[in-house]
Amino acid sequence: MDIKRRALVDRLASSNAAMSVLVVLLGFLVGTILVLAVGRDPANMYRAIIQVVSGFDLARGTWNARYIGEWLVASVPLILCGLSMAFAARAGLFNIGAEGQYIVGLTVAQFASFYLPSVPVFHWAAAVVLGMLAAAGWGGVVGFLKAKYAVSEVVATIMMNYIALYVSRYATQLIPGTNTYKTPSFPATARLSNSWLESVTNGSRLNTGLFLALAAVLLFWFVMEKTRTGFALRATGFNKDAARCSGINVQRSLTLSMAISGAFAGLAGCIVALGSFGYGRVLAGLDGYGFNGIAVALVGNSTAIGTLLAGLLFGMLQSAQPLMQSRQIPKEVTYIISGLVVVFISLRSGIGLLLEARSKEQAKSAARKGELRDE
Amino acid sequence: MKKALVAALVLSLFSVVAAVAADPTVRLLTDVSGVDDKSFNAAAWRGILQFYGDTLDKQSKKGSAYDVVTAQTQDMYIPNIKQVSDEKYGLIITTGFTFADALGEVAPKYPAQKYLIVDVDWVNFPNVMQATFTEHEGSYLVGVAAALKAKADGIKDPKFGFIGGIPGAVITKFEVGYAMGVLSVLPKAKIVDYYANDWAKPELAKTQAKNWYDSGVYCIFSAAGFTGSGTIAQAKEYRAAGKNVWAIGVDSDQYEDGIYDAAKTKSAVLTSMIKRVESATLYALKAVKDGTFKGGVVVFDTKSDGIAFSDKNAALGKDIVAKVNAVKKDIVSGKTKVYAKYADAKAAKAVPSDLQAKDD
Repeated sequence: MDIKRRALVDRLASSNAAMSVLVVLLGFLVGTILVLAVGRDPANMYRAIIQVVSGFDLARGTWNARYIGEWLVASVPLILCGLSMAFAARAGLFNIGAEGQYIVGLTVAQFASFYLPSVPVFHWAAAVVLGMLAAAGWGGVVGFLKAKYAVSEVVATIMMNYIALYVSRYATQLIPGTNTYKTPSFPATARLSNSWLESVTNGSRLNTGLFLALAAVLLFWFVMEKTRTGFALRATGFNKDAARCSGINVQRSLTLSMAISGAFAGLAGCIVALGSFGYGRVLAGLDGYGFNGIAVALVGNSTAIGTLLAGLLFGMLQSAQPLMQSRQIPKEVTYIISGLVVVFISLRSGIGLLLEARSKEQAKSAARKGELRDE
Repeated sequence: MKKALVAALVLSLFSVVAAVAADPTVRLLTDVSGVDDKSFNAAAWRGILQFYGDTLDKQSKKGSAYDVVTAQTQDMYIPNIKQVSDEKYGLIITTGFTFADALGEVAPKYPAQKYLIVDVDWVNFPNVMQATFTEHEGSYLVGVAAALKAKADGIKDPKFGFIGGIPGAVITKFEVGYAMGVLSVLPKAKIVDYYANDWAKPELAKTQAKNWYDSGVYCIFSAAGFTGSGTIAQAKEYRAAGKNVWAIGVDSDQYEDGIYDAAKTKSAVLTSMIKRVESATLYALKAVKDGTFKGGVVVFDTKSDGIAFSDKNAALGKDIVAKVNAVKKDIVSGKTKVYAKYADAKAAKAVPSDLQAKDD
């Protein structure tokens, strides 16, 4: 019995996936207690969440698939920005710049939709590719500076975020017909809208971006786990010096990982720009997907499937938030839950140690009991 | 017995009538700044609270009769409007022009749902009421007040400043009205203007205000959102130091923000251009309740008291207040015409031709 329990605790402590699930449950538990503490009905919070993931409005007894669609729409940029963070993290880099890379992708996609020929499929595909390339360049520069001159990627990416925002604002206003907050409408061929996805989700904005995001998850997994490049990146992440001694080109690894990381965030920007909006935006502020991506990657343990699931979780919280507000749950509760999840994740190794120590203690006392009995 | 029956009948009839005229339910949709922005959204929220007889401290019907849904990012506007439309409220209120595109997309899909949008006049659907304000009229009034004060103080060659947020048609109304108002009293006065290109950078306005006050500008009117608080901060500093300069508030009565002495009797905010967004939400809610709600543009002006100036500052004096009120009457009667567009005002030679105002 004891041995079995120890094995379970051991497995829990050593399995990142199990810890993530545990941490998320813990986050919800504290969130529920908070809702109770402010005198609201936590059932409303869960009703909102159920409506987001299933489309069922339990209070009104209606079903609307649009809510599922909007959940996925909100999740797509979170998943991609999570992949961006995760990709860099696996190579030992802390990419705070997903927000800026997202903006670069978004801005270039907006430009491309106005200046590329209006040919079906080619138009949006080219816009997305250009947006990703530009974002890859934006991220790659930081990786290069880190590799060549040991410039801290944290500081560099934070600064690049604001450069991206203001350059985007300035450049977008140069598009003819743009006022202080929006451009004219995109040509229809540049949009990522997908009439089939829209019709199965009862007119949500779910778009081709969903498939692009799923492809990105697959690509992430393949590159990271199945290619030599991915191995080199991971080796660099584990121990730079050991990697260099084993003949891995660390400089190339760092630059490449930041560039690919940027491309993921850039794709998120392209999808939001061409999927969720019918016109280009002169950004008034940061959208925040890049920053939320950090949390997504942390919860997802920087793996492909983990990031996908964590992105869906954070997307669920984000799209449940307005529903919660309609049900008298303070909007801050979703931030608190996602914040707590991140804090608990950071404490993960601590919790693991604690569990381990406790099980050892128990084993010891059990052994002592046995000794006593022997005497 | 008969009497009781009649009484019961009357009572039941009464309750039917009461049910018909019951207060509608309403949801307010705001951008990320929420109802605590001390400005636009806060004013819309005040109107809703007032309608239900609640106050900021006592929101007893929140959650049932009225509530607010705040969008965290711009891409949540459409899903949020659709969501509250699914939930079928009596009225859905969206504030500000950033909601215009989203509302234009959703409103035709819910033809039975009633909507109100503020500061917009191009979302033309039969179920959308659009409230606009004649900010140029109010700006004219504060311009007149400032110029009269300069005259009363005997300032030689007074200059007047205008600080805008991001240039565009809306802020142009403020600048053109203000310039016209000042020049109607002091035709030779110099008007200077500056655009911060940002709604939330008070430091820019403060620096500019300091330069201007140092160079002999008597009064500055800021229509720049939170940026404008920098102007008021600088005016407070200088008035506290004994310098005779003024700031003018915008949207809400900013008299309190300008108080600079311990006794709380002196404010550096001479007057404020008051734009009563709450009167638009109140108006729409009443219209829904009375069954008179219809789509189209409703203009709130000085006549309907949607636009006004503040006479709270004692430094303004009875004399000036009376004079400004007389001008207000002339605007209401149509005797005084205030232009909303820079091009029109320039053509009429009512404003200088070197301002940075933009009409698009």
